[in-house]
Amino acid sequence: MANVQPAVISAGFCEHASKRSDVNMAELVNEAVEDCLNKAGSVEWKDIDYVINGNMPAFEGANMPELWMTDHMAAKNKPLLRVTTGGTTGGSVFVSGYYAVASGLYDMVLAVAFEQQSCGNTTVGLASVALGELSIYPSLGYEATRLRRNMGAGAAIGVASYQAMNYMRRSKATEEDLARVVVQNRRNAAKNWWTHLKMPTITIEDVLDTPYISYPLRFGMVCPASDGACAVLFTTEEKAKQIADIPVYINGVGSYANEPAIIGVDCGGAGQTDPCEQLGAVKSAELAYSQAGISFPNKEIDYAEVYSPFPNQELQWVERVGLFEPNSAPEAYLNGVTALNGEMPVNCSGGVNSTNAIGASAMERPAESALQIMGKAGNQVPKTVHTALGHGWGGAINLISHVVMADEPQRKFK
Amino acid sequence: MTLNIDEEQDVSVTKGMIRAEFNFWVGIVMDKFYDGLQEKKFIGTKCSKCGKVFLPPRNRCGDCFAKAEDFIDLPETGILKNFTVTTYKISERKTRNVKKDQIVGLVQIDGADSAMVVPVININPEDLKIGMKLKVVWAKNIKGDPNDIAGFEPIGGV
Repeated sequence: MANVQPAVISAGFCEHASKRSDVNMAELVNEAVEDCLNKAGSVEWKDIDYVINGNMPAFEGANMPELWMTDHMAAKNKPLLRVTTGGTTGGSVFVSGYYAVASGLYDMVLAVAFEQQSCGNTTVGLASVALGELSIYPSLGYEATRLRRNMGAGAAIGVASYQAMNYMRRSKATEEDLARVVVQNRRNAAKNWWTHLKMPTITIEDVLDTPYISYPLRFGMVCPASDGACAVLFTTEEKAKQIADIPVYINGVGSYANEPAIIGVDCGGAGQTDPCEQLGAVKSAELAYSQAGISFPNKEIDYAEVYSPFPNQELQWVERVGLFEPNSAPEAYLNGVTALNGEMPVNCSGGVNSTNAIGASAMERPAESALQIMGKAGNQVPKTVHTALGHGWGGAINLISHVVMADEPQRKFK
Repeated sequence: MTLNIDEEQDVSVTKGMIRAEFNFWVGIVMDKFYDGLQEKKFIGTKCSKCGKVFLPPRNRCGDCFAKAEDFIDLPETGILKNFTVTTYKISERKTRNVKKDQIVGLVQIDGADSAMVVPVININPEDLKIGMKLKVVWAKNIKGDPNDIAGFEPIGGV
């Protein structure tokens, strides 16, 4: 276990949109870094002694963007690490920041995650993730040439629709329940300054009025493709106390792979045939909670950000990570439990469903949770947040990151 | 030990084309750089703190992490900081041979602290010298893109 208690002291964003054609990738990232440093009190760029950078592999046609944007991340003549793990990239970048401080090797760590999807072709980008696994397919019993047909539903939504089918079968959730999640997210996004799809007046009927993309998911339920960046500053407990008004301590981190879930449709490895079972999320959450000394997450967690490009996933994740009893999430959303002023607010930032700069998305979850604890979030919940979680999902649909943060350090580190 | 693979039977080949198109947003400062080329002019940026001048321009100074968004006009002349001579052409896929050796040089425009990689033309390789003065040769058709710089040639000939 770590000897050093890591803390978050600042999180910054740039404005997200479908096309940030006014800036190039380096300048986009620079905006988030600047916002992060501006909110970091007395910290100067020179104090940063380690920089971690990540986005989706080659989505923008740039394989080593971290070298291009070194100056823009205050990383010149400093150790620089690139992390890319598919959709979980942002979560992995965040977790790497935690590791760097927890190891005792670095005191002030800047983690940067971004995506400028308008520069690239997301389908080509996803091809590098999904089709890149071609050589694995024959070993899973798939004919390589049939791959295109299997993935025909479209990379990410194809996976999500299988999850949605099983979730709806288990929980008896309706399409209306899914649309309700979308409405809550997009209305929340309208109140948060950096988000993409701001829809303050959207209704359930509006969502259900759109055509199916991949049954049971409709066009109006799908996340957008965004340009954006996020930066987070990590430091030690001692320094955080000097710098931040309310330091946010990272008390538990779990990042599990769930191999059988590769591409979401393969059930090979462990005979797991239910894509909404998500044992990786369950295990990651258990580990993070045990590190953080949390026994009853549904009582002890005050705020949650989960990675849900599609609404069924939000219902699925809040159950898998222990915030709600299995199959009870749709009712909780109906009763306003997860709303801004509810008992268990979820994704008040607007979530991935409203803004998806892929590489950044999984870092924006813990970043927004940290801001909620600091009381500085764009769409701040009215109650005081003591403990919050940030969850990420992705990879080849098989990697989870789960971070538990609080305004009190976890004393078992001492 | 040898591994016998019957290519006909044991190897399945899947062929397909993936269309990959990418955009590139030039951004805040390179936008001005390309506008400058259109007027046959070099436009760089200056660090607001240490005064370093960047060409091609960038909006941040790596040494100060200060803004470098003040534009500055730079001359058409510069110094050859480094060079290499290549007898192969990347774009000539069949033979890779070129009729004439190509010179690629690192040219630092007078007044700039950074340098650009550009073709060096109208000079024999044996006459090249690091530190020699060069001047830009503009392309015939100016379009506001990187090809507007046809190359750099020695001032006053050699």
